[in-house]
Amino acid sequence: MYQSESLIRNHYNNINEWLEKMTAKVINEKNAEAETHFRNIGITFSTNSETARERIIPFDLIPRIFTFSEWSKLEKGVIQRAKALNAFLADIYNQGEIIKANIIPKELIFKKKSYEVSMFGFTPPRSIYSPIVGIDLVRTNYNEYFVLEDNCRTPSGVSYMLENREIMMRMFPDLFHTNRVTPIDDYPTRLLQTLMSLAPIKCNTSEPVCVLLTPGPLNSAYYEHSFLSDQMGIEMVESTDLFVEGEFLYMKTVDGPKKVDVVYRRIDDDFLDPLCFSPNSVIGIPGIMDVYRTGGVNICSAPGAGIADDKAIYIYVPEMIKFYLGEQPILENVQTWSCDKDDDLNYVLDNLSDLVVKEVDGSGGYGMLIGPKSSKSSIEEFRRKLSANPRGYIAQPLLDLSFSPTLIKNQVEGRRVDLRPFCLMGENAQLSSGGLTRVAMNEGSFVVNSSQGGGVKDTWVLAE
Amino acid sequence: MLSRTAEYLYWISRYMERAETNARLLDVGYRMSLFPNPNGYNNEWESVLAAAGAIQGYKNKYNIIEQKKVEDYLFFDEDNPSSVFNCILNARSNALVVRTSFTPESWLAINKTYQEILKLKNNNFNASDLPNLTEWTIEQVNLFRGSLSSLLRNDGYNFLYLGLFVERADNSARLLDVKYFVLLPKPQYIGGNIDNMQWSILLRSLSSFRAFRWAYDGDVTSTKIADFLVLNSDCPRSLSFCIQNIVKHLTNLTCSPEKVNKIYNTLKDLNIKIQEEKIESIVDFGLHEFVTQFINKISSVDSDIQKEFFN
Repeated sequence: MYQSESLIRNHYNNINEWLEKMTAKVINEKNAEAETHFRNIGITFSTNSETARERIIPFDLIPRIFTFSEWSKLEKGVIQRAKALNAFLADIYNQGEIIKANIIPKELIFKKKSYEVSMFGFTPPRSIYSPIVGIDLVRTNYNEYFVLEDNCRTPSGVSYMLENREIMMRMFPDLFHTNRVTPIDDYPTRLLQTLMSLAPIKCNTSEPVCVLLTPGPLNSAYYEHSFLSDQMGIEMVESTDLFVEGEFLYMKTVDGPKKVDVVYRRIDDDFLDPLCFSPNSVIGIPGIMDVYRTGGVNICSAPGAGIADDKAIYIYVPEMIKFYLGEQPILENVQTWSCDKDDDLNYVLDNLSDLVVKEVDGSGGYGMLIGPKSSKSSIEEFRRKLSANPRGYIAQPLLDLSFSPTLIKNQVEGRRVDLRPFCLMGENAQLSSGGLTRVAMNEGSFVVNSSQGGGVKDTWVLAE
Repeated sequence: MLSRTAEYLYWISRYMERAETNARLLDVGYRMSLFPNPNGYNNEWESVLAAAGAIQGYKNKYNIIEQKKVEDYLFFDEDNPSSVFNCILNARSNALVVRTSFTPESWLAINKTYQEILKLKNNNFNASDLPNLTEWTIEQVNLFRGSLSSLLRNDGYNFLYLGLFVERADNSARLLDVKYFVLLPKPQYIGGNIDNMQWSILLRSLSSFRAFRWAYDGDVTSTKIADFLVLNSDCPRSLSFCIQNIVKHLTNLTCSPEKVNKIYNTLKDLNIKIQEEKIESIVDFGLHEFVTQFINKISSVDSDIQKEFFN
């Protein structure tokens, strides 16, 4: 929000005035109201704790604001990246030109568990493997954005983007009179249009039947699954509701079997088809991969799309953009050392106390080392792990993430934030006019993951 | 509609109905415990447990029957599959899965109930808080039922109401049966003061006391009450009313007409019989026998619905 020590950036002026008018009493009331709202509609995480049963993610009342021009740049950059990632997937599951051109070493792709051999030689409708791409961004400087991570499988968090806006409009309608905030509530409609535009070849209707496939109520993103299927007006199914007969996929209804054309799956590859992936899996739909490969159904995202968001592949995304699109990358990568290269590994080992080291297959902010914040002993422990399995790690400098004003005990304090906008790839490529802003609620913390004390904020994109 | 969705909707309203019945039963026990004991005879809490079908479970857990323990067992205990707490928990787990198949208000009604009962459970309650707990439960269930009025009249709606009336038919029948065979210790009490007092309490527990006064003139007699609770199709808790509504919501289903017909055929006779029957002939035949047959019938309708639509 601040341009320098004391200068407030223009587009935050309204919010600043609004904040100054709010008393501690009002803030407390509104915080309580937001919490009750989230509990009542059930945006909760399941926890294992006996006392809590379910936990909600802390919601911060102060929105994060993007100007139209800031956002336009992000929009172009994210769409560019999402196109390149899809082109990459189409390439490595077919000709493999990027490997032949010696841009990405083949062992980095073919030896990965997330590379799905059964996808080789098959191209999904419109050559879209990942129809919903979530790109995690951080700002370090005024208007300088870096991509932290790509999410090509089933990025979650979009329900928070929508519900955060909903609660803000409900609690502070006046703010929306005085600020021209671009609406985001058409996202579910656009998502459905995207899914429908990806109907398989054997689908001969103009209104393909789409379903959302969920692992069930124990999944931490279950609220989002039911929210999205509700907003799109499609069935939310579990794998036991689906079965394969002949060339098609059906769901069990009270009327008997009903054909399904597009499956928006929110389960992992391993649990899709026990005949193809994990034979010991009790969940999954036997035979769905055969139907998929013969054009009877589309699975979004495609099995094997996860290879594109692998942390070791991430390093090559700028190269991909140049190779497939012939463009210069609009958004930059964070400088990354991949520990499987000897030079890089030596550098990382020499500078452990200045770097952030992540597991290649890790997520959720777990299993990482933040050098400058860690004790000598945990650095030494990581050094041992790293030396034993260099291929399993990458390292990055500790970025000075931008701060966003956040209410902590009724005082406005700066807390670090990141941003995940959602890019839809179907007949058109489009970006949500907003995204999920995650905020590290603990003072000095760099970790925004909800599993580790992260909160969320409403994210505004101002109209032109 | 997904078969699983239909099944979950059906069970949501069964659980909500059961939560209300159990809360009302506790209220019966509570009221009876306030009356002087006839001849030192005092079994209201045992009767309540029997009516709730929970006596075995309770005895596995406790050696003595006392008010606070019965209240806790029937209201909050997670070991009792039919406790009000578990009913609400189950309804809520089901609603979480099918929340997209009914209105946001219905989900809110169930979820708020759940959030509140979690708090109630964590606060220690006094035995004398029971009337408040009962009132609270009835209020919550009414909120849920009220929210259903804005639903589309589609199959989901009919499955919700099938669940409600199957559960209610079963609950009303069991209450009647318990009145005859559990509440009254000895046959010579029939027709006596205690008999009539218990009937009145039964009516109250079914929220039908005033309705009964509207429907019948003169004395409160057991025959009139039996007529009211079995045959009177104006009474929303009578067996006759329940069976008519089961038929109505079954035949309103638009899915699978052949399955609907199959189940309807097994119900047809009972539906006609209950509308033509006189209470005197039922009493001659034996109310207990009649009610037992009825309960068996409802249970076979229930398993038919599950088999035909949910599998």
